Amino acid sequence: MSWAQAILLARGASRGWGGICSTALTGAPFSQVPPQAPRGLRCSAAAHNPDSSLVPHPPEPPRRPVKALAVHEELFRPALDGARNKANFVRAVQNFTEYNVHKRGHVDFIYLALRKMREYGVERDLSVYNLLLDIFPKEVFRPRNIFHSIFLHYPRQQECGIAVLEQMENHGVMPNKETEFLLLQIFGRKSYPMLKLVRMKLWFTRFKNINPFPVPRDLPQDPVDLASLALQHMEPDLSARVTTYQMPLLKDSPDAMDPTETHIVGIQSPEQQSALARHDPARPIFVEGPFSLWLRDKCVYYHILRADLLPPEEREVEEIPEEWNIYYPMQLDLAYGRSSWDDYEFNIDEVEEGPVFAICVAGAHDQATLAKWIQGLQETNPALARIPVVFRLSGSSGELLPSSSELEEPPPPPPEGQEEEDSQQRQQQGQS
Amino acid sequence: MTAFGKGRGCLTAVPRPPPPPPPPSSPSNSRAARGRGRRPRRRIGGRGGGWGGAGGWRHRRREIEAAGRRQQQQQERLRGQHERLWALLVLGGGALLPRPSGLHRDPAPAAHQSAEPSFRQGALLGQDPEVDSRKIDQEGKIPDETLEKLKSLGLFGMQVPEEYGGLGLSNTMYARLAEVIGLDASIAVTLAAHQSIGLKGIILAGSKEQKARYLPRLASGEHVAAFCLTEPASGSDAASIRTRATLSADKSHYVLNGSKVWITNGGLANVFTVFAKTEVVDSDGSVKDKITAFIVERDFGGVTNGKPEDKMGIRGSNTCEVHFENTRVPVENVLGEVGGGFKVAVNILNSGRFSMGSMVAGMLKKLIEMTAEYACTRKQFNRNLSEFGLIQEKFALMAQKAYVMESMAYLTAAMLDAPGFPDCSIEAAMVKVFSSEGAWTCVSEALQILGSSGYARDYPYERLLRDSRILLIFEGTNEILRMYIALTGLQHAGRILTARVKELKRGNVTTIMETVGQRLRDSLGRTVDLGLTGKLGVVHPSLVDGAHKLEENVYYFGRSVETLLLRFGKTIVEEQLVLKRVANVLINLYGMTAVLSRASRSIRLGLRDQDHEVLLANIFCSEAYHQNLFTLSQLDKHSPENLDDMVKKVSQQILEKRAYICTHPLDRTS
Repeated sequence: MSWAQAILLARGASRGWGGICSTALTGAPFSQVPPQAPRGLRCSAAAHNPDSSLVPHPPEPPRRPVKALAVHEELFRPALDGARNKANFVRAVQNFTEYNVHKRGHVDFIYLALRKMREYGVERDLSVYNLLLDIFPKEVFRPRNIFHSIFLHYPRQQECGIAVLEQMENHGVMPNKETEFLLLQIFGRKSYPMLKLVRMKLWFTRFKNINPFPVPRDLPQDPVDLASLALQHMEPDLSARVTTYQMPLLKDSPDAMDPTETHIVGIQSPEQQSALARHDPARPIFVEGPFSLWLRDKCVYYHILRADLLPPEEREVEEIPEEWNIYYPMQLDLAYGRSSWDDYEFNIDEVEEGPVFAICVAGAHDQATLAKWIQGLQETNPALARIPVVFRLSGSSGELLPSSSELEEPPPPPPEGQEEEDSQQRQQQGQS
Repeated sequence: MTAFGKGRGCLTAVPRPPPPPPPPSSPSNSRAARGRGRRPRRRIGGRGGGWGGAGGWRHRRREIEAAGRRQQQQQERLRGQHERLWALLVLGGGALLPRPSGLHRDPAPAAHQSAEPSFRQGALLGQDPEVDSRKIDQEGKIPDETLEKLKSLGLFGMQVPEEYGGLGLSNTMYARLAEVIGLDASIAVTLAAHQSIGLKGIILAGSKEQKARYLPRLASGEHVAAFCLTEPASGSDAASIRTRATLSADKSHYVLNGSKVWITNGGLANVFTVFAKTEVVDSDGSVKDKITAFIVERDFGGVTNGKPEDKMGIRGSNTCEVHFENTRVPVENVLGEVGGGFKVAVNILNSGRFSMGSMVAGMLKKLIEMTAEYACTRKQFNRNLSEFGLIQEKFALMAQKAYVMESMAYLTAAMLDAPGFPDCSIEAAMVKVFSSEGAWTCVSEALQILGSSGYARDYPYERLLRDSRILLIFEGTNEILRMYIALTGLQHAGRILTARVKELKRGNVTTIMETVGQRLRDSLGRTVDLGLTGKLGVVHPSLVDGAHKLEENVYYFGRSVETLLLRFGKTIVEEQLVLKRVANVLINLYGMTAVLSRASRSIRLGLRDQDHEVLLANIFCSEAYHQNLFTLSQLDKHSPENLDDMVKKVSQQILEKRAYICTHPLDRTS
């Protein structure tokens, strides 16, 4: 380290010391540390982030930060081709480091760059974060002695480093060895960014795969694809088949919301199919919904076709036919079985539910659309033609909708019994 | 089921009283139906007969005819022999041998031994122009002239009674011949499909007219038979058979429609035993679909077959689909009763299994010769392969397996031959499971000895490996047979134990005290003596160790079975992992029984190389004993401790995702 740098560091340290003492005395939390006096190689900065908790006083005359900000903003001006991509972002960062050899104002620049990342679509790119961290001058902010590490050393810079890591965390970017090495070079092992990094490395690995039903990061935009994804997400049986009963109209006109033209996508497994075939036609089955399913930031509404659970006295005990297995007996002719003392399921609370025969996701939640689904199902389930279907649709989807979408909501349901009769009649008319 | 039960006295440990002299008529209906009652036994070749040797096929044929002429006189002699052997073995404590006269009685020792070398070497090495296994394997077809010769030898009617033109061999003799036939798997399978299952239905359940009509031509090989049960949707599930037979309006014939798959001899056969659903009016007037067996001739019309399947092994045998389209089957061709096809199928399948033991043993004996030849000539590091311990161990293993399966097979055959002896289907299933798995292990070990040449197509070994793989699959997969063995055994044990278990559950103090006392004694260490050894014991003193081990295993197995029935009751049907263990123990116990009795007999009769047999018997008993102890300890534990829970969980997770679940070892989160 050069002699001059040492002098500068010493000065900075003494000022930092004073700042921290005052913080400690006021007892304010870390995020509200008052701004430090200008020091060492740190360049001045102004309100880099309006909603940041750290609002430093401009340590320099107010004219300069504005100017500096303007300079940094300039770096992110759209390139000639107008493309906002990684290459341009990297170029902007490189321009900053080249233009500003002393890295004056780098904290502001980093905050600015963090805000710009989403625009450039690089918010999930680890190498870009590492590039940003690389802007920090090395070895300067490392604590030199035990007091440095006890009291916050270069708090603004550390805050900035933490902000970078936090944005990484929000986007689920796992730091790598390079990040660690950079932080080590910049802030040293005993620093808050390093602590943050260690914590991230600990918890990220634990939380990354905590969801047993992972959803792809980029959800399909097409509603039909999204619907089939949602259906497959819900259906545990891998042999279940997704059927698109109706494709939406391609045009983006508001007419597309017309129930006759929205998408209807359903899923049914072979087992559900055979269960439906076995269903007693005397008992009605119900279309229920809409229920919501969240896939990341998107909500999908689905309907189910289900029946009530058979009352226990009507359940058929599955009989083992006498001449069934050619090779070995399927049941033993013993005079005793497990008694109640041997009932291993005695203490297990299980709520039995009625069978679900199919699920669908449709663009509209009204009865006309869902009746189309039932019609489509009849092609593969001939038994459905004989079973009365009752529509039990709740009025709203349970979500707060913008006022513009009121149109697509079904009319408020009539009293339940009446609706059942109605729909039964309608269904029967439809079949006849 | 002899080697099963609670232990105390359930094994054939207590000297069995001599059976009453064979009654003049068959003792039970089932015996009569099987036609296995007091069949006149007959020897092939007779003494000094020239099976093979220089004489070749024609000579052998003459010998068989000669045997036919001598039959009467031999029968007389044999009966005399029965009495003598019986006395000898009962006095010597021969009760462990279920039927003293039957066990390991070689129908015509000299004849077969002289016949074997030519057939064996020919079959395996492809040197004999008459049976070229390699060519059969490559071309996927048994040459017609070979088939003709087999027919002329009468091998297509080995178990067909003599009055219908067959050889009328007893099960023991059949097993003995199977040993030779087993040297070429394709021929063995073709013959087995023809007579073990194909025409067996006619012998077991056919009427006199049916027998007279079909058996002579089947026995001569003029017609080939096939057994048509499996369907695309129905393997062991009889309820899902789709082939249907509908009675015509005039009730003179059935119209058969449907298709069957994996039919061995499907392309060659002229006579099919077909199982189809028919409508049967029950006693209470309701109409039900039931399975009926039919004898269908190809000439009835509407019978077509697909092209032969391209298989991994037994490539010379013909396996294909068979379709029936509006085939008119006369009512007279119903096999057994209308609606009684299920029982017919079960009986046929159960009766056809035992011969696999001797078949495999024959193959293994030849394999041992060939690999031993290699191991004693191949030099590495200036030593023969045979001097390395790891190679020697493999030979011991092969010899042991061959010895055990041979003993089991002939014990079972003897039991089947004995007049009035009950159903031996469990024993036959045990023989099948043990021998098929033994074949696979031993061939695999042999390949290990041979190194790369075992893998090469120029040598017969890879063919043996391919051929032996099917043994674990057909005639009921080993998994299914294990279920059969365990469940049938448990059914039997359950009947005996029911009363006791009921009392335990009701809380009968005496029974509980008895049980507790028994357990206490067991935990303090107890010597189990079921009377196999000792002064009047049936096992020779040099096998005392093995006998004690068998006794101990049998005793504790009985205890485990009791616990299992208490714990699971009827639901044990669903506990397949438990049942598998029960079956494994049973197979080992039966193997121990067979081996001990055979070795004891060899010593008592003063057979050559009895000390070698004693060694093999002791090795097997010891190994099986330890396996059994381990299995029993697992059976005594609940599922969380014996890993069953974990195993099930793992497989459930995999099957839910239908894929291997773990992430790649190189995957990382950061």
